[in-house]
Formats: sequence, structure tokens, C-alpha cells
Amino acid sequence: MAHAEHHITPKKTLIQVFVALITLTAITVFAAQMDLGPLNVPIALSIAIVKASLVVVIFMALKHDNRMNAVVFLVGAVFVVVFLVLTLFDTAYRGDLPNTVEGTIMEEQAEQDALRARDPGPTPVPPSQ
Amino acid sequence: MSADASTSVNYLNHDRSIKSWLLTLDHKRIGILYLVVISLVFLGAGILALFIRLEQIAPGQDIMGPDAYNQIFTIHGVLMVFAFIIPAIPAILGNFVLPMQLGAKDVAFPRLNLLSFYLYVGGALIVLSALLVGRIDGGWTFYAPYSIRVGDSILFVTMGVFVMGFSSILTGVNFIVTIHKMRAPGLTWNRLPLFVWSLYSTAIVQVLATPVIGITVLLLFLERLLGIGIFDPALGGDPVLFQHFFWFYSHPAVYVMILPAFGIISELIGTFSRHRIFGYRFVALSSIAIAFLGALVWGHHLFVAGQSALASTVFSLLTFLIGIPTGVKVVNWVVTMHQGSIQLRTPMLYALMFLILFSIGGFTGIMLGVLPIDIHLHDTYFIVAHFHYVMVGGNVIAALGGLHYWWPKITGKIFNETLGRIAAGLIFVGFNLTFFPQFITGSRGMPRRYYDYPVEFESLNQLSTYGSWVLAAGMFLIAGYLLHSLFKGKKASANPWGSLTLEWTHTNRLPIPHNFERTPIVTRGAYDFHLAKDLFKDEPSGNGVDSHQVPDLEQEGRPEA
Amino acid sequence: MAEASTVTADRPKHLHPHFVSSEQQFDAAKMGMWLFLVTEILLFSGLFVAYTVFRIWYPEVFSHSAELLDWRLGGLNTIVLLASSLTVAMGVHYAQTNERKKLVRALILTICFAAVFMIVKYFEYTGKFAHGVFPGVNFDPHGTAGGHDYAAYNIPFAAQFFSIYFVMTGVHGLHVLIGIGLFSWIVIRANKGHFSSEYYTPVEITGLYWHLVDIIWIFLFPLLYLI
Repeated sequence: MAHAEHHITPKKTLIQVFVALITLTAITVFAAQMDLGPLNVPIALSIAIVKASLVVVIFMALKHDNRMNAVVFLVGAVFVVVFLVLTLFDTAYRGDLPNTVEGTIMEEQAEQDALRARDPGPTPVPPSQ
Repeated sequence: MSADASTSVNYLNHDRSIKSWLLTLDHKRIGILYLVVISLVFLGAGILALFIRLEQIAPGQDIMGPDAYNQIFTIHGVLMVFAFIIPAIPAILGNFVLPMQLGAKDVAFPRLNLLSFYLYVGGALIVLSALLVGRIDGGWTFYAPYSIRVGDSILFVTMGVFVMGFSSILTGVNFIVTIHKMRAPGLTWNRLPLFVWSLYSTAIVQVLATPVIGITVLLLFLERLLGIGIFDPALGGDPVLFQHFFWFYSHPAVYVMILPAFGIISELIGTFSRHRIFGYRFVALSSIAIAFLGALVWGHHLFVAGQSALASTVFSLLTFLIGIPTGVKVVNWVVTMHQGSIQLRTPMLYALMFLILFSIGGFTGIMLGVLPIDIHLHDTYFIVAHFHYVMVGGNVIAALGGLHYWWPKITGKIFNETLGRIAAGLIFVGFNLTFFPQFITGSRGMPRRYYDYPVEFESLNQLSTYGSWVLAAGMFLIAGYLLHSLFKGKKASANPWGSLTLEWTHTNRLPIPHNFERTPIVTRGAYDFHLAKDLFKDEPSGNGVDSHQVPDLEQEGRPEA
Repeated sequence: MAEASTVTADRPKHLHPHFVSSEQQFDAAKMGMWLFLVTEILLFSGLFVAYTVFRIWYPEVFSHSAELLDWRLGGLNTIVLLASSLTVAMGVHYAQTNERKKLVRALILTICFAAVFMIVKYFEYTGKFAHGVFPGVNFDPHGTAGGHDYAAYNIPFAAQFFSIYFVMTGVHGLHVLIGIGLFSWIVIRANKGHFSSEYYTPVEITGLYWHLVDIIWIFLFPLLYLI
């Protein structure tokens, strides 16, 4: 039976990964205690991504799994990014066009008339009857 | 293949008890259960549409007041979108056909499949129970903050949508796994029927987009229950964020509606042009492309909602991209027909109708993707006409084509071809009469969702209402002759259209419970009609006598014994 | 269905009639689970998007409000969940190597860790409720605890932070509870000897689910407690 092909992750690897995860948790807590200004969020997120990757690759054994399952997982992750980024295109730039325009229609008209007086151009063709 | 299938065991007669139907794990029976329930939903929501059109026959109040009108178009929208169009093709035809097209005995998870059916029924019942609780009149999009303020009936609607969404997710997961893991030996990706490809891309969208409507509904609940202030502007929330959440699901859901329709059209055009699909790979992969691109464009529903100009511009640009893979499909279908020899049987008539109607719907969609044009046309009848051309002209027409095409396999009977053609004509005329005038009224500024309108729009609206009657006549005619064929129809042969996909070539007239006597081994593509003469030469039914002809049903069929 | 004709002597008991081989059945179940996990990720994505949108709008409010959450309790729960992930991975290992007793022990440990997680969460929630930190319109922080004057946190949009906090951890906690239920069922089956290196699909796919619950928490912890 084909079950022999299933990869069995050695206990040692699992424990090593666990130790790495705990270490990373300690680092992220430690980094958060120090105020790194604009680096706070990127550092915390990077560490979280590394931790999540360790869980996915080793604990969930995606490294030795059918490649299609990895594709499935990555597509899911990509869609989260799409959802986030395209929504932020709106919310982070909300109000980039004002709802109102400075000035009045009469002022605009006056400006147009002034421009026309300065540069009359060719005589406009009268509208046909 | 057994020549006399009438006495042998098949999926319909092996167990006739009610219990065997209600608890069936057979994908074919589950497909039929869906067919029955979804048809009832379609009937109900369709009758509501007739009421909407009747109210619009003249300006002023005709048969109902504004309040009733608001409720009726809302229920029409909710039922048609969530309970009819989204599940129609995947759940009915997909369930019935997919495992057979793959040469499999069933879907990968039959119990999940049955659960999915009952979730669908449960969700639909929850939506309907809202009618008992109170009025629902916010439109099918239940935008915040209105949906936060109105009565509790909206809870039932959204809860029902949530449950039906879960059903949709399960079907999607099931189909993806089935297509990956259950293909018959030799059935490579390049040999898959295009209906399978389209169901695959549909399932991708179902799996990726539907969970978001779940969390949206949950947040809406909590907004009503606790006032969490995410969507409610009075509490510092952002109602436009609700629209982002809603359309992140509901725009891809549009592709859940249209992608399987593309698949059916590919089947029909291949079979009735007696020709391999031109640019098969492009047609197949364009479905996947649409599935992914479709997830990038939801913001074009928010052009006038107050989202940032940057987002509007980006979404507008991305929207145009959808036109590319869609255009690839239409061009390839037309070239296939050009190279083939077309047989104008009833299902093919629907394929031709689809090409015309969907193209109009698609092109107006590109128009609406243009920012300044959309600002003019937003929330007018132009939008109503556009999405009905896509949803009805695309999805419903394709579903009807598919239902006619697979009817002999589902029931073992042949419908009346003459009536079929008359009904197709009625539907084409009725549909255009109903919805084309709405392009005109819309572009002249008639807003959607009002029971009343200025007198200047009267004649066009009357035309539209008359059209709805013709359309309804066509639908009832179809229901009539299909039901009639169940009892009085002639027996179909196992492969009445001379198709080359496995559900036709390798099953009995009525398939056995596990579809195939033995697992088929596939050695050719799904549309290799140039091989048809050889493939069918030993057929006693004479299907392949002339591979360039679709067998004549009227001569082929025998009266029911 | 004519079961007699489809079940032949060499088909193992766990193999469903519509599959050709155990391998096909296992692969199908596993892929189905991965797809389900993707739907879970997208379910949570809505909450992450809401969090990000509001955080970008009100960054000071969010980092200020986060001070009220005790990172020590959050950190403890992180370690507890990571440990439970380890025991699940060990459990799969033992299932593959036919060590039934160790499998049962690993799974029971997992349930214990999950229970600890929920208990800590319970104390966190009740500690917040006691000082009027509720999700939504009932948000009314008052009193002092742990060196924090809660009333000082009653600023505009702090309610949004705590709403998002409660919804995110609430939905996550619900998944933990479901996990406890699933593992209890798996433990019973494992104890009866249902699983072996030939067939351990339920252990494997429930394990996958559990790891995902862990991953969600790996992101929730820094986003809510630390930054």
C-alpha cells in the first residue's frame, strides 16, 4: 500500500521547531518592550510570518506534502493580501478628491470670458439653420 | 452498453422509497433534489418579477404601493441571486454531470454533498421565514447602515444567506477535490471537458470569496446586537467598509453565476458544431483567469459610494482586464462554429442566444466600468438591464441550454423538439423586449428601485412589461413540455446528441447508481469529433453512422413501452 | 446500492466504495481539509482587514488601547497553543508509527493545553468585563487594575479596538472549543484502536485544523497585545 510514501517527521525535528517558535515568541515580546518607532509593526509582523511559516512547513508537513496543497494554501494567502491591499487603496486614501470645488460658476465663467477675450481664436462657425 | 436499458438497474429505479431519495448520497439524485427545489425558487421569484413589471406598466400606483413594491423587488433579488443563480448550474447540472464527465463513481465527499443540499434548503427556508417576521425592503445588498436600523427580519435574510453560503463553500471544496483526485485513468487536464474546467474555476471562487460574506454577516449581527461600531457611522464605523466586505464576496459571486454558464456553452458549441473547440487551452485557462481577475474588481460597485478616487481609478482599470479572457472565450466559440458544421437543435439555440445576449451584457459591463459613465448611469435602469443581460441572458439561458442538453441523460426521455424551438424563440423575443427598453430608460435617467416613474418613460416600460409576459410564456412552455416528456416522452438513446464526453459515451441510457460498469480509460480529448466515426462505428444505436450529423431524435426515439 | 458487489475482499474497511484506493481517499480528504483551511483564513481575513483599516485611521488610539491587554497572559497563551501544536504533530507521528498509547497521550495533552488556553482567556475576559471593557456601545472603562487607570482609556475609537479584539479572540476561541470537541472524538476513536499507519486520516486533518487555529493566534498575539 502506498502509505509507505507518507513522510514521517522525526520527533527531533518537531521539538527543534517548537523551541524555535518559543524563541521567536520571546524575541517578538522583547522587541515590543523596546520602542522601535516605525519598525514596531514590521518587526512584529515579520516574526509572526516566520513563526506561521514554520508551523505550516514542518508541523503541517507542507514541505513533504503534495505540491498542490501548498498552492491551495498560497492562493488563500494571496487573496487575503488582495482583500487587504485593495481595500486600503480606498480607506487609506479616503477623501483624496474634495467633494467641493473652490469658487463659483460665475467666477469660472468670468475666467473663461477673460481667456476668450485674450485669445479669440478662429471665428466660430455659426450653427446651421 | 446494454441495448435494452429499460429493464436493468439504474439510478432511478434501484430504490424507489422516499427515504432513499431524501438520504441519498448519489450525486445524480442530489442533483435532482436541487433541480426540484431550485426550480420552485425560480418559479416563486419569477412570479414576483412579473408583479414588479406589472406595477411598472403605467406611471403612478397600479397594483401596489411603494412599500409593497420595495419588499417585492427585495425578495425577488435575494431569492434570485442567492437561492437561484448562484447554485443553479453548479448544484443541479454540476452535481449531476461532473463525476460522470470525470469517469468517477461519485464526488469525493458524498455525505458533504448531501449536507450541502440540506444547508441550501435550510438557508432558503430561513430567508423565507423573514417574511413571517416582518418586512424586508433594503434590496438584496442589505447595505449598512440601513440594515443595522431596520427590523429583525433582516437578521433572517442575512442568516439565510450565511447558511446558503456555507452550502456553496462545501460544494466548491467538494468539486475541487473531485476534479483533482477522482479523474479516470488517462483523463489528463488537457482532455477535461470544458464544463469541468468551468466548474473548477467556479469552485475556486466559491471557496475563496464566500467566507468573507460569512464574516460580513457576523459583523452585521454584532453591529445590531452590541453596536461594535465597525459599520455604523453613528458609532464611528464606516458604512463604505461594509460595501467593500459585501462586494469582495458578491462581485466574485457574479463569476460563480457566469463561469459555469461558459462551461455549458462550450459543451453545446462543441457538440452541435461537431468540431473540437478552437483554442481549447485558452478557453479552459481563461475561466481560471476570470476567476482570479474577478476577485480584483469589486470596487467598481463603489464608484459613487464615497471611496477614494485612487481606489476608483484602480478598480476601473482592473475591471477592463476582465474583458480580455471573456473576449478570448467568445472569439474561440465563434471560430469553433465557423470551422464546424452547425446543427441547430434546441440546446444549440440557447448557445447562440447566449452569445448574443451575453455579449450585450458584457459590453455594457465594460461601459459601466468606465468611471465617468458609471457615475452617470449608476442606480439607473441601465444597470438593471446590464445585469439582467448577464444573469438571465448569460446564466439562465445557459442553464436552460444545459438542462435541455442533459435532459435525456437525467430522465432518459426526449422532449418535443418543435415545442423546444418555439419556447426558445419566445424566450429570446420576450427577454429582449423586457430588458432592452431598460437600457434606454436607464440612460435617460430613470432610477431603479422606485415603484413610480415620470410619464415620459411610459411607452418603453409598457413594452418591457409585455416582454415579461412573453418571457414567462416561454418559461411555462418549457416547464410544460419537459414535464410532459417525463410521462409521455419518447425514450432517448444513451447518447442522443452524439457527444463525446464520458457521461454520454460510457453510461447507460439512465446511468447505474455508480455511473459506470467499470472505470473508463480515456485515450482522447473531450471534443475529438474528427475521431467520432471510428469511435461510434460499433455502436448498435447507430449514433456515429455519420459523425457530422447529430442523430435525429424523432426517428431515434421509441415510444415508452 | 448493491454493496456486496462493490466491496471485495482486499478492500480495507475504512475505504469508501467510490474511491479506488486508500491513497486516493487520503489525498482527497487532505486536500479537502486544506481547502477548508483556506476558507477559514478568508473568514478571519475580514477581521484582519477591519483591524488594519481602523488601525491606519487611528494608530495612536490602537497602540494606546493595546496597553490595557496584558501581554504576559497573551504570551502564556501563545506558548500554550504552540505546545498544543507540538503535541498534535507528535500525535500524527505516533499514528504513523503505530504507537497507540503515545498517540492517545499526545492528543489528551493537546486537549489539556487547549483547555488551559480557554481558562486563561476566561480570566482575561472577566477581568476586562469587571472594569466595563465591553465590546460595542457598552464600552465604559472604569476603576484601576494592574497599574492602569481604566477611565483614561475611554477615548474615541478605543471602543472599536476592543470590539475588534473581542470579535477576533471570540471567533478564535470558538475555533478552539470546536477543536477540543473534535479531539475528544478523535481520542475516543484512537483509544478504540481505529487508527494505524494504514489509516489515520482523521488525526491528520484534525491536526491540520488545529495548526491553523495556532497560526491565527500567532498573528493575533502581536497585533492585539504587542504593537
